[in-house]
This record gives sequence, structure tokens and C-alpha cells, in this order.
Amino acid sequence: MKFKPYANYLSAGSVMIAGVALGLFATLLSLDSGYGFDPLRAGPWTAWPKVGGADIDPYARAVVSRSGEAPLGRDQGLAFVARADSSGAPLDADCEYRIVDPLPAARFWTLALATAEGRLIANPAERYGYSSVDVLRREGGAFEIAVAREARPGNWLSPGGARGFIVVLRLYDTPLDVESNPDPNSFPKIVKLACA
Amino acid sequence: MRLTVPDRYFYFLPWALATLLVAGIVHIVSVLLMPTLAPRDALARLAAYVRTTDQPQGLVLLPPMAPGSETLPFEDPAFAEAVCVYDLTKGPLRVATAVDGEDLLALSFHAHAGRIYHSMTDRSAIKGKIDIVVGDANQIDALASADDEDAPPQEVRLTAPTKRGFVLIRSFAKRPSDQERARNRLRAVTCQRFDLPQG
Repeated sequence: MKFKPYANYLSAGSVMIAGVALGLFATLLSLDSGYGFDPLRAGPWTAWPKVGGADIDPYARAVVSRSGEAPLGRDQGLAFVARADSSGAPLDADCEYRIVDPLPAARFWTLALATAEGRLIANPAERYGYSSVDVLRREGGAFEIAVAREARPGNWLSPGGARGFIVVLRLYDTPLDVESNPDPNSFPKIVKLACA
Repeated sequence: MRLTVPDRYFYFLPWALATLLVAGIVHIVSVLLMPTLAPRDALARLAAYVRTTDQPQGLVLLPPMAPGSETLPFEDPAFAEAVCVYDLTKGPLRVATAVDGEDLLALSFHAHAGRIYHSMTDRSAIKGKIDIVVGDANQIDALASADDEDAPPQEVRLTAPTKRGFVLIRSFAKRPSDQERARNRLRAVTCQRFDLPQG
């Protein structure tokens, strides 16, 4: 074998460059996939109870400090995020959805639309969400919320001009057990109706 | 002499392992450093907002949430919010308010770098009052040693893990028309630095 004096330097250099690139890529990938470990899943809804406690894991801390958010405390409630409908298809602002009860037990809940970066979405009705108090209910207490660009009768949320959106369900002072996944049937369904 | 195929693998194997090792170290270090290096974390955003107001300390109400002018992302639009950005080097902090037991008031205590070390709602108020003292370990010790043994302290004492941090107070507006009422409840919250008892 012919001795090449620079081969080892070259290999070491490419190892460093490839390693740094690969490591940063892994970091980006893991931070974009949620708030660290132990998520609670119920149908399309996901919450990370550990984000709001003192035992937050390093991944969740990295995500939270990068986005600049102040998560809900563990003893205040739980925030569930849906990025897909109940059939698993990603939420698309060109489609119309219905969000239908039931809801898990909580002192209050709110249900709001946001962009994937957690910003409010401008819309002509200036309505960003509903709460357990101001949602219009049918006789018996059941309700449904329409998500559509054009106005709908009853409870209506609009994704405005946004391309995509997420739905955030916040349960305040909820007795929900965070040790195991809750029953998906106790959470609202997000049903896709029609797409433009 | 040309390398045979197995020889080639043996030549590249240590380099591939080295690449993975470097990648692993870079990944772990970058995740752990993110909270310290992230320039726009919640504390930085809130401190920047507080500096634009004429109240350098104490409780500052955040502007009503509207698209494009949110102080923090992922906040509930049904809430009015106030923040108290603190630095414990100048003394401990007292957060106090009376609650009516009906309207949701949520307080969370955030340390530097994304950690909540205490959170509560008005449900855990004692006799209709929330009275919380935040200090570093030395300040809490000093308070405890100054206690009168016959009269136990009325306040809840929290040891903050970092000197800098913030208290976020969220007040629920049940309907959009209740926003002003929710903001008035925030105005009734006090968040003040105080001096340790001498002695």
C-alpha cells in the first residue's frame, strides 16, 4: 500500500465536519418532533405534562427556550395540541372541520386555533377560540365548533389566510391522570368535512 | 497493491465510528446548551417588553393578545396576562393577591432557562389569599431563622433555583367581553421586592 501522508488528516477533517453536521441535524430533528419524552396521546391530541414541572427534561427545555414560550404549569392544567384530524390527516386550512364534544373533566377549558409557531391567526371575526363558558351549546350541553374560512352559524373559528393551523385544547384545573394515556373517546373529535 | 473490499471496510470502520461519536457529542452538547444560548427565550422576551414600559420593576400587564403582537407564543387568547420579571440579587420578592374563588387566576414561577419551579391556580389559595415569597436559598434561610416560633409564617416560601426569572400571572376572561375585568384582577396583584429582616 502506497503511503499517503495527508490521507489521515483528510479523513479526520471530514469526520469532524460530517460529525458536527450530523449532530446538529439530529438536534434540529429531535427539537421539531415535540417537547421531549413521555407525551400523553389521545386520538389526535398530544400533551407533554413534564414540560410544566420542575423535572422537565433537557429536550423539552431546549424546545421551550428556542420557541420562547412559557408553558402551562403542571398544577395549572394541561395543553393538548392537535396537528392532525381524527383520521390522522394533517390539518389543512383549505378544508372545513367540525370539532365535536365530549371533553375531559376540567374546571374550565379553552379551545383555540394557532399557527404552528404558536401565533394567533388574524380572521375577520376576531375570534381566536372558545371557552367552556362562552361556547354555544345545544339542549343537553353538547356542542360543536366549525373550523372554516367562510362564516358558519353557531360556533365558528376561522383559519383566516393561514395555510396551516393547529388546534390547542387547554384544560385548567383538570383531574386528568398524567401517568397513563387517557381514553381517546373522552376527547373531542376533529372531523374533516370538505376541502376547497 | 489495491485494497480488497473487506480491507476497505476495515479501513473506513474506525472513521465511521468516529463520525458517529462526534455527532453524538455535538447533539448532546447542542441540546444542553440551547437554553443558555437561545437568544429569544421567554425571559428575554418578557424582559425586553418590560424595558419598553415605564415600570422597571414590579407587576407589568402584557398588552392584549392580537395577531402579530403577542409577547409570547403559545399563549391562551382567552387570558389576560401580567408578568413580574425579577432579579433576586437585590432581595426577595413577595407576590400577593386576594382571590374571589370563582375566576381562574393562574400563577407560574419560571426560572432562567425554561424551567417552572412552582405553579398554582387560585384553587390552592389559603383563606382567600395568595401570599408567596420567592427568594434564593440564603434569603429563605434568613427568613426562616427570623421566624417567631409561636406564630408560624402565613406565606408560602419558594426557593428559586436561579437568581433571575419571572412570575407569569394569567387571568381568565370567560367571555371576550370579560377582558377588562380580567385585567382589573391582574392590577390587584402585587409583586414587590422587600428587605430581609435585620438581625
